[in-house]
Amino acid sequence: MKYLSLSSRTLIILKWVILFVFFVFMDNAFGELMVKSNADHIKIDLFYHGSAVIVSGVSNPSDADLIIKLTSAEGHESLRKKGKVGNMLWMNTGELKVENVPNVYFLHSTRKIEDILSREEMDKYVIGYPALERHVEMNVFNDAEKTKWFNEFIKFKESLKLFDISVGKISLKRKDGKQNYYIMTQWPYQAPPGNYKITVYAVKDKKVIENATADVIVEQVGLVKSLAEMAKSNGALYGLLSIILALGSGFGVGLAFRKSGGAH
Amino acid sequence: MYIYLPVAYTSINILLPIVLGFIVGLLSGLFGVGGGFLMTPLLIMLGIPPTVAAATDSNQIVAASTSGTYAHWKVGNVDFKMGFYLLVGGFIGGLVGVEAIKVLRALGNADFVIKITYVLMLGIVGAYMFIESLSSMKKKKTEEITAVKESKIAAFLKSLPLQTHFGKSGVTHSVLVPVFLGGFVGILAAIMGVGGGFLMVPVMFYILKMPMHVIVGTSLFQILFTCIEVTFLQAYKNHTVDFILALLLLLGSTMGAQVGAIFGRKLKGEQLKILLAVIVLAVTVKMVLDLTLAPSLLLSQAGGH
Repeated sequence: MKYLSLSSRTLIILKWVILFVFFVFMDNAFGELMVKSNADHIKIDLFYHGSAVIVSGVSNPSDADLIIKLTSAEGHESLRKKGKVGNMLWMNTGELKVENVPNVYFLHSTRKIEDILSREEMDKYVIGYPALERHVEMNVFNDAEKTKWFNEFIKFKESLKLFDISVGKISLKRKDGKQNYYIMTQWPYQAPPGNYKITVYAVKDKKVIENATADVIVEQVGLVKSLAEMAKSNGALYGLLSIILALGSGFGVGLAFRKSGGAH
Repeated sequence: MYIYLPVAYTSINILLPIVLGFIVGLLSGLFGVGGGFLMTPLLIMLGIPPTVAAATDSNQIVAASTSGTYAHWKVGNVDFKMGFYLLVGGFIGGLVGVEAIKVLRALGNADFVIKITYVLMLGIVGAYMFIESLSSMKKKKTEEITAVKESKIAAFLKSLPLQTHFGKSGVTHSVLVPVFLGGFVGILAAIMGVGGGFLMVPVMFYILKMPMHVIVGTSLFQILFTCIEVTFLQAYKNHTVDFILALLLLLGSTMGAQVGAIFGRKLKGEQLKILLAVIVLAVTVKMVLDLTLAPSLLLSQAGGH
C-alpha cells in the first residue's frame, strides 16, 4: 500500500514535471499555434450558395506574423490557350497542361508575403504566387513563356473565384503574451466537392517557426449528390431521363397553351 | 433565390435561366432555330463550364423544339415527310462531318479554316436574305432576272429521279434533294459545332421553295431529333448534361416557344425572313468581334464550342 502510494505520488510529480517542461519548451522553442474552423464539413444541398468559413486560433509568440492558406490537393489541369493567328484573329491555339497545381488556393496574411518570408521558405511551403509558379510544371518551352502562361492561369482562376490572395484581413488581439487571430472568409460555391486543408503558419525573422492544420470536407448531399452520381455512373439512364423530361415538358406546355387558347 | 447545379458545380440565381430560356425559346418558336448561338455563350457568362453549357443547351432545345413543333403542327405548319428526308441526310452528313473534322485537324489550322468559313457563310446568307427580303417588301419587280436563274436550277432539280410531292409544303422534288441538302447542312453543322438551323432555314426557303411558316415548323421538327441524339451522347459519353439547369431553362423555353409561334403566325413570311436575316447578321458581327478583339482571358476550360 505504502509502495503504491509512493508510486502514485511519483507518477503525479513526474506528470507535472513533463507538463512544465512541455510548456517551457513550447514557449521558448516552438511557440504555440492552434487552428480551428467553424466549417470542417460543408454540405452542398440544392440551395447551397457558398458558406462563411471562420478560421481562428491562438498564436504564441504574440509578435509572429501569420499566414493562412486554404488549398485543395494538388492535381493537373488542361486548359485551352487563345492566341493570335495570322497576326489578326484570336483563336484557340493549343492546350496548356499544368501539373502539381491545386484547384483552390487562398492565401491570407497579416503583412505582404514578400516582406515577412524568405524566398526559400516561400518555396518550401509553396506560399504565394511566385512560389506556386516555381512549384508547378507546364508544357511550355522556356521560363518567359511559363511566367506569361502562369499569370494567365492566375487571372483565369481568380475569375472563377478559386484563387485569391489578401493582406491585412486577419484580425489580431494580443492578450497575456499570446495573440488570438480570426478571419471570416466566404467559401466559394465554385469550389467542387473534395477534401481541403487549412494551414496556419506562424512567421518570424522571415522563417516559418510553426504551422498547424485543419481539414475541411466539402460534400454533396441529398438530391444534388444523387443526380451528380447518376450523371457519372449511369449516363445512359440519366440521358434518357433528361430527354423524357424535356419531351414531356414540351408537350405539357404545348397542351396547356392550347387549352388556354394560346395556340389560336 | 439561388439553386446549386450538381454537374456544373456552381450556384445560380433561379430566375436567370428561366428568363434566358424564355428569350431563346421565343426565337426558336419564331424562326425555327435552336438558339444555341445565343444560349451557350450566355450560360458561359453566368459561370457555367463550356462543356456543360453546350450539352445542357441541347437538352433544353429538345423541350423548346417539342413545344414549338407541337404549336406549329396544330396549325398544319410541319411537313413531316420533308423533315424526315432532311433528317436522313442530316444524320449521314453528321457522320461524314465528324470524319471530315479529323482530316482537317490533321492538316493543321483547322480552327482557322472552320471559323472563317462559318463567318463568311453566315455573312453571305444573312446579307442575301436581308437584301432579298427588303426588295420583296418594297415589291420591286426582280422576278424577271431571278426567273431565268431559277428555271435553270429548277430544271436540274426536276431532272433528278425519285420525284415526290410534299403536300404540306406544296412542292415536288426528288427525295435526293432534301437528303443531299440535309447532308450538306449536317456536314457543316458537325464541322462548325452548331445545330445548323441558321443554314437549314435559308436552304429550305431558297432551294426547296417551301413556304416560310412551314419552314419554321419543319426546321423545329428536325432540330428536335438532332438534339435528342446530342443530349443522349453528351450524357452518356461526357456526363455533361446538368439536369437541374436544363429543368430551369426548359421552364422558360417551352413557354417562349409557344409565344414565339403565336407571334410568328401574326407576321408575314417576308417579315419573318428579314428579322431572321438581322439576327444572322448580328451573330456574324459578334463572331467577327470575338475573332478580332483581344479577349480578357487567354485561357478557357477545355471543351465547348
